[in-house]
Amino acid sequence: MTQGKQGGRGWSAVRKGKLSRLRLTSLRLRLVVVFGLVALTAAVSASGIAYWLNREAVLTRTQGAVLRDFEQEMQNRAGALPERPSQDELQHTAGQMANSSQHFSVLLVAKDAGGTTVYGSSGGLSGFSLEDVPKTLRDAVNKKQGVTDSNKSPYHVYWQRVVEDGTPYLVAGTRVIGGGPTGYMLKSLEPEAKDLNSLAWSLGIATGLALIGAALLAQAAATTVLKPVHRLGIAARRLGEGRLDTRLRVSGTDELADLSRTFNLAAEALEKRVADMAARDDASRRFVADMSHELRTPLTAITAVTEVLEEELDSEAGSMDPMIEPAVRLVVSETRRLNDLVENLMEVTRFDAGTARLVLDDVDIADQITACIDARAWLDAVELDAERGIHSRLDPRRLDVILANLIGNALKHGGSPVRVSVRLEDDHLVIAVRDHGPGIPEDVLPHVFDRFYKASASRPRSEGSGLGLSIALENAHIHGGEITAANSPEGGAVFTLRLPRDASELTEQADKDKEDAS
Amino acid sequence: MGQNEPVPSLLLIEDDDAIRTALELSLTRQGHRVATAASGEDGLKLLREQRPDLIVLDVMLPGIDGFEVCRRIRRTDQLPIILLTARSDDIDVVVGLESGADDYVVKPVQGRVLDARIRAVLRRGERESNDAASFGSLVIDRAAMTVTKNGEDLQLTPTELRLLLELSRRPGQALSRQQLLRLVWEHDYLGDSRLVDACVQRLRAKVEDVPSSPTLIRTVRGVGYRLDTPQ
Repeated sequence: MTQGKQGGRGWSAVRKGKLSRLRLTSLRLRLVVVFGLVALTAAVSASGIAYWLNREAVLTRTQGAVLRDFEQEMQNRAGALPERPSQDELQHTAGQMANSSQHFSVLLVAKDAGGTTVYGSSGGLSGFSLEDVPKTLRDAVNKKQGVTDSNKSPYHVYWQRVVEDGTPYLVAGTRVIGGGPTGYMLKSLEPEAKDLNSLAWSLGIATGLALIGAALLAQAAATTVLKPVHRLGIAARRLGEGRLDTRLRVSGTDELADLSRTFNLAAEALEKRVADMAARDDASRRFVADMSHELRTPLTAITAVTEVLEEELDSEAGSMDPMIEPAVRLVVSETRRLNDLVENLMEVTRFDAGTARLVLDDVDIADQITACIDARAWLDAVELDAERGIHSRLDPRRLDVILANLIGNALKHGGSPVRVSVRLEDDHLVIAVRDHGPGIPEDVLPHVFDRFYKASASRPRSEGSGLGLSIALENAHIHGGEITAANSPEGGAVFTLRLPRDASELTEQADKDKEDAS
Repeated sequence: MGQNEPVPSLLLIEDDDAIRTALELSLTRQGHRVATAASGEDGLKLLREQRPDLIVLDVMLPGIDGFEVCRRIRRTDQLPIILLTARSDDIDVVVGLESGADDYVVKPVQGRVLDARIRAVLRRGERESNDAASFGSLVIDRAAMTVTKNGEDLQLTPTELRLLLELSRRPGQALSRQQLLRLVWEHDYLGDSRLVDACVQRLRAKVEDVPSSPTLIRTVRGVGYRLDTPQ
């Protein structure tokens, strides 16, 4: 069974470990995400800037060359045309112009001698036509500007980038100054676009690699940070479990080492504090023990003498002064009470000091209970439901203390009849003491075994030391047993005592411990 | 207590003045003759002079303690000794019983309890029948209240003698510790079984050939003791 339990715990620990590694708020995940974000931002901005700069450079260079060439060709060839050229002339010149080093298509537009607009396109009629030129560009090209100091010519070269069927083109146009054809050119930018595309791909891949690298770095960083944190967690848990001598090994000078040092200091302070408190607690316990010991000596003398007084009271009535008699009775009864209290106090200090010892014997439980009830003249008030012949190995004196306290308590608070039943459960002896009183209030129930517990502050404590149930419980514990208090559904309080049938293992264990200690 | 019955004389050794005085008062009222001593040394001296019937001995004494006093008395004497001890589950009880005490009373002592114990211990020396029984080399003469082994007189305390008598009355029959406590010590239901065990050990040391492997007084596991005739 233990095996299965351990296995289960191990499994859940593994699962827990996994879960904590995957938990959204885990430090590891946060570190990875932050590293990733930083890497992503850096890579994306670097790539973006690089891509943009490259694109501009490539495009500007290509465009500049093309436009320069186009201008040159316009001046050299289109400027050489007559003012009103024919269709053929235009066509021919356009073909010549298109044959330049930059390989662009050319469209020349002019008015022929007849006043009709004629076109000359390098690629023939199916090639470059005026429809391919955006209207805004055409307007700009044909618009005559005023000649000023800063603007020396009425016409300029205008250009525009267009995308048609997914292919980028450069379209430009100008007019020959001083009358002449208007020329347009179309240059495909596809090679440049391809170059830029592959550049974008490389940059993308580089960004991806940077991200993976960042994630790995984050893992490594998380491990270096989390390992000490994990160790700290384990140490803190051990500390919480009461192992106050837990210390961390401090290595390095970083913040985590600082934290470890702080932890060690805190643990040291705590250990000292607890030791101080334990010492003070010990001292006060020893004081109570010494105190009750000291009280016992005069009490022994007083007890012996009060008995003499008591006998005097009982012997012949009237032999004592009627004024003195109640005083003597009071002294006798209060001495008995004081005796019980000191007796109980000593018992309690013995339990606290761990010096209480079992004196075991084989006893018949039914006989033992009957004797306990009989000795206290409770036979009429107690119903015993127990078969003879149930034997148990326990400390009869301690069982008597438990029973006397439980039954006495039941009689005092619950009223008779008190029902005591004995049964066996496996290796345990179960004795239930049930009264027929009002039961125990729910708020008092958890405190019934507390020392000197008073159900209400205003209620004076009835006779008894206030230690009885607590001592009964301690006596059950020393047997390896337990007492529980509850309210019976049929009314009345039920105290259930569970004791192992044979407590000798406990004493053997205790003896062994003592030998080991010495 | 009849007129002609001799008044038992006790020696009370107790260092605390108040307790000594109070117990003396109480025991005297119960009809005992009480001599007192404030230390072990004084007690031993008084013992030689007065020869009491029984000693009530406090464990915690200045100088030689109660156990030592007990041991010294036992070396020469089989006088009944009742210890005054702090606590029934203390190691004191075990040591006290091993030193040869017959019974113990826990402080604060109730005079009546002490008186009952004293009377019970004193009764152990009283003879009750006039026959004899023998178990191997051991002969118990109930008329003379003597026990001989191989013809030699054995020095037994009244408690040891009573224990042997009770066992010999039911030869071969196991008696539980609680039964023996009632029969020999006249204790109530809360009798301390260690009294029986300690007394059996002392008795074995005197009557058995090899006390560590007894053939007469046998232990019956989980029950108690039994007197057998050796084969």
